[in-house]
Amino acid sequence: MIRDRERREYALMLAPYLIGIAVLIALPGVVTFALALTEYDLIRSPRFIGLQNFRDLWNDEIFRTSIRNSLMFILFAVPLRLLGAVSLALLLHRRFRGAAGYRTAGYLPTVVPDVAYALLWLWIINPLYGPLNLALDAIGGPTPAWLTDPRAAQWAVILMSLFVIGEGFIVAMATRQGIPGELYELGDIEDATPLFMFWRVTLPFMAPTLLLLMFRDTIFSFQATFVPALIVTDGGPPPYATTYLPLFIYRNGFEYLRYGYASAATLVMFAMTAFIVYLQYRIVKRWRHAFVV
Amino acid sequence: MRSSNWRHLPAALIAVVFLLPLYFMLSGSLRQAGLPPPRTPELLPSPLAWGNYERAFELVDLPRYTLNSLFVVAVAVPLTLLTASWAGFAMARLPRRPAGALVALSLIALMIPLTALLVPRFAIFKELGVINTYVPLIAPAIMGTSPFYVLLFYWSFKRIPPELFEAARLEGLSPLATWRRVAMPLVRPVTVAVAVLCFVFTWGNFLDPLIYLFDQEKFTVPLGLRALSTLDRTNFPLLLAGSVAATAPVVVAFIFVQRYFLQEFRGAGWLGR
Amino acid sequence: MAGLRFSGVRKDYGEVRALQGLDLEVADGEFLVLVGPSGSGKSTALRTAAGLEEVTEGSIHIGDRDVTNMRPAYRNVSMVFQSYALFPHLSVEENIGFGLRARGVRPGPAKVKVLAAAQLVGCENLLERKPSQLSGGERQRVALARALVREPDVHLLDEPLSNLDAQLRVHTRAELKRLHQRVGATMVYVTHDQVEALTLGDRVAVLNEGVLQQLGAPDDVYRRPTNRFVARFIGSPAMNLFPATALDGSLQAGPFVFETRPNLPERVEVGVRPEHVKVTEGDEGAPAEVQVVEMAGNETYLHLSASGSPLVARVGADVRPPVGSIVHVRANPADAYLFDAETGETIS
Repeated sequence: MIRDRERREYALMLAPYLIGIAVLIALPGVVTFALALTEYDLIRSPRFIGLQNFRDLWNDEIFRTSIRNSLMFILFAVPLRLLGAVSLALLLHRRFRGAAGYRTAGYLPTVVPDVAYALLWLWIINPLYGPLNLALDAIGGPTPAWLTDPRAAQWAVILMSLFVIGEGFIVAMATRQGIPGELYELGDIEDATPLFMFWRVTLPFMAPTLLLLMFRDTIFSFQATFVPALIVTDGGPPPYATTYLPLFIYRNGFEYLRYGYASAATLVMFAMTAFIVYLQYRIVKRWRHAFVV
Repeated sequence: MRSSNWRHLPAALIAVVFLLPLYFMLSGSLRQAGLPPPRTPELLPSPLAWGNYERAFELVDLPRYTLNSLFVVAVAVPLTLLTASWAGFAMARLPRRPAGALVALSLIALMIPLTALLVPRFAIFKELGVINTYVPLIAPAIMGTSPFYVLLFYWSFKRIPPELFEAARLEGLSPLATWRRVAMPLVRPVTVAVAVLCFVFTWGNFLDPLIYLFDQEKFTVPLGLRALSTLDRTNFPLLLAGSVAATAPVVVAFIFVQRYFLQEFRGAGWLGR
Repeated sequence: MAGLRFSGVRKDYGEVRALQGLDLEVADGEFLVLVGPSGSGKSTALRTAAGLEEVTEGSIHIGDRDVTNMRPAYRNVSMVFQSYALFPHLSVEENIGFGLRARGVRPGPAKVKVLAAAQLVGCENLLERKPSQLSGGERQRVALARALVREPDVHLLDEPLSNLDAQLRVHTRAELKRLHQRVGATMVYVTHDQVEALTLGDRVAVLNEGVLQQLGAPDDVYRRPTNRFVARFIGSPAMNLFPATALDGSLQAGPFVFETRPNLPERVEVGVRPEHVKVTEGDEGAPAEVQVVEMAGNETYLHLSASGSPLVARVGADVRPPVGSIVHVRANPADAYLFDAETGETIS
């Protein structure tokens, strides 16, 4: 009898979370599937049109561009961000004087609200007034036209994403701190170089976490690009150089009121994500077997 | 003995690099609007134009927006702490199979980008008739805002020796009482961390207010900032002043609690393995 | 292979002084045990020898090299940690060969050495396994093999048997002794267990609160303790200690009365080991009430109370008086130890 009462309480404690997942994640998932097959502007009733949305997507030049843009972002931003997070973690995980301050500094940009962050960068990369180009000019470097040159604009978005690695940083740091210190003391005694210890001990221990971070970052890329694209580059410079998938979805849904079309695009985005994550998983698995000597 | 002295220089350099954007935000906000571009990047503009802040507050109702944001945060953060820690606790106390399934479910849910849920959630909330209210903004807090927070609590509760919970059980404590008297006091740092993370996320949340709020007076700070940017597109000092006003509360709160948040996790191995 | 010498080694952690002026010399090929309670500084001494901690003052020599400021890697020592510190993601073979690979020894020759070390400790059939698949005793052997494989000047062992269950510990003790006899390497062994110290060490160094109390062969430390601490720390059950009062030209200590001696300091204490407490059935000696009877297989420990003083006696297995009964105890003065109550030094 006591067990039953306990079970009920545990169920009660789980209820908000599970109901929330059902209503806010699972249900929208189902709705997306349904909407993708309709034409719907949220005013009139939805109209079933089968796979027409997908056919339209296939022919939509903007959609293809946005996929390319998103892929390009993932290709560069994810590894760079991971590298940044791990480097910060390995640099700052030990207790030394001022470490807390340095850690705070590393995390602080992540704390800034998205909009403020985007406006800030709009200022920083301003070709005429912005500190970035001014500084580059002062040291005689190139001063790209960040907002008007398509390539530069894409790199600006990538650059912006490199400063907000706070979560990855603390996750990597927590993992590194979880490795028993005695293993490194042993390395000291056995005359192992720091590089040797890194390859043989640190990296294998951190590998599962790094994998998780890589997955999460890939998925996160489909989110991180939204605000910068909306506020900083406005999807441009023409034609659509920084229109990433999230922006495409948002525009089609909330500005053109084509919710069915946007849902179809969402499904494609989700499929792509799953596929990329799966690819990463396979590649890393193969690499792990080769590398654990 | 392992010397950490060599870390100071690179760490200091990195700190400077990461603090630069914030510094630019501050210095840029103090420039006199309308001046011609400076020759070189100026460290501190002169004259210091505090007037930008005045103007920012005049053009859009920032104080009101701040209150709105505070209201949302004041509801969402405690609610999140409650539901996330409840769920994490229940998961930590369940037998292996159900707990494993729930963890897997959480991981999968974590993998879904919010932008993928924009459209369908909007449709759902529209059907419920709660568009243009704060309900859609607070709704995620009912499920702990993010599966990540639930997992954080789960991992922390898992680290507590189960004997403590068994002892509580023998004393006749119900699960809820155990959660309140035994579990939560032991995970203070994580609670602070989740509160901070949730605060940062909710305060800076732009997507949800963007699509759900239509009445200007209901705007939250990010939305207000965006409104400012559409009013005076090129007046950067003004926009930066607004940005600083939007960022300051979060930064201040973060600096106060970072000591719990960025603490050592030595020997814990609570992630990864 | 070489000896190890601590000269005036002091180690402070901020305000806390873990080691005070330690002077200790370990001969080449000797098995020395550092023994003492928690906080005695024994692990600290070991870690300074390894180079994992810096000395605040003093010097450390290995052979004739001054290694005080050398990094651990250059000291040519090995260490076995209490937790074994095995790499969970590497196989036994890779664990043992870790140091060799770190120094760039090629896989071929490395494997030969690994095999030899594994055979020495008896884990050659475990080479493919991972630490998670091994028992505690097996892991301990792997940790030992890893220390042996490099043939360093000095082996340092930090309570390597503490994590084993009692029976395994006894068995492994003997194996360690056998290993030392075969390999003949210099070994410095830290433990809090005085039985291990006595059975394993060629010599024993007793530490307390950072100060070396006594250095000597196990027999010396047991039979001729230099002070009260050593007398009570070594030997189980611990030596009985009584404050002594002079009474009509004799010394009364607890239930025992001994002849007094000239030139005694103001206050003395008398110690009698449990095995020297003779329990008689008859009326000889002082009466004592039996409070607890501990049966330890081949012997019995009697916890008695004699005129208010508690004492423990070690008797044969067949002596089992009922609780609450009165027995009589006496002791041979030649077996008793006199301590200065102030300084703790042994007088005789």
